[in-house]
Amino acid sequence: MSRSSPNTTTHPSPAAAAARSLAGGASGERIDLRFPSDPANLAPAREALEKLALAGGLGATAAGEIGLVVNEALANVMRHAYRGATDKPVELTAWWQGDDLVVKIRDWGSGVHPLEHRPHPEKHNPLKPGGLGLICLKKLMHEVEFAPQPDGMLLTMKRKRTPVTHP
Amino acid sequence: MSSIQTNTDLISSARQEGDAIVIAIRGEIDLHNSPELRGSLLDMLNKYKPKKLVMNLSQVPYMDSSAIAVLVESLQKLRKSGGKIFLTNLQPRVKGLLEIARLDAIFGIVPEEKDATAAK
Repeated sequence: MSRSSPNTTTHPSPAAAAARSLAGGASGERIDLRFPSDPANLAPAREALEKLALAGGLGATAAGEIGLVVNEALANVMRHAYRGATDKPVELTAWWQGDDLVVKIRDWGSGVHPLEHRPHPEKHNPLKPGGLGLICLKKLMHEVEFAPQPDGMLLTMKRKRTPVTHP
Repeated sequence: MSSIQTNTDLISSARQEGDAIVIAIRGEIDLHNSPELRGSLLDMLNKYKPKKLVMNLSQVPYMDSSAIAVLVESLQKLRKSGGKIFLTNLQPRVKGLLEIARLDAIFGIVPEEKDATAAK
């Protein structure tokens, strides 16, 4: 998949076409995708990640968790970084590095750090809207790092083959 | 018992049983289609004002947090009039997310529809 400049390119094709290309973009070893910030792309993106997780030896439950995490991280980009705009660029890359499944999500949105001003998961009020997506990221991944960029945000997450245990 | 027409394919069946509404939801629900589900559910709650909403999730293999937010909003609306929501026939991934959200104790989660319609 080509990587043209994010400043000059937004994906011009309709979401459905992007979704089809997404589904076909998952090889067994690496995912390298660029697609517009349309929620129609969530399902093919999470399915591609689940496939990659399974191919690397994670079980069905763990692979499903990876799919959920990617869904939630992308949905945060769509809702918050891009404030609901459906035509902005998103890059999703993922690969196995030793025992780690590495997932990177790049956006060119508001650059607001999602983890600032968020309650600790244990203090989260389940009946208050918002925040659940980030709780999923923190609970289900071994490492989560948001790195602000001059023109957006780069999220890097890692999940080991072993189950996540947080103190 | 009378069946209810809905304007979304995400609800595969809906019926009224006394002061309860029993619906079956169908499909993977994420940010792409959760607004559609939200609209239909809130319309239904406004129109029929049930005391109990029973949601059969046997045909829902997946939900994301935006779908959970729709369930929570519906619950809060029902609670204002003393109502409850029961979720039945949960698939493992949906159950897992409800546990992460710590909502598994807040909704009534029961194995099957008959358990929900019988529950107080």
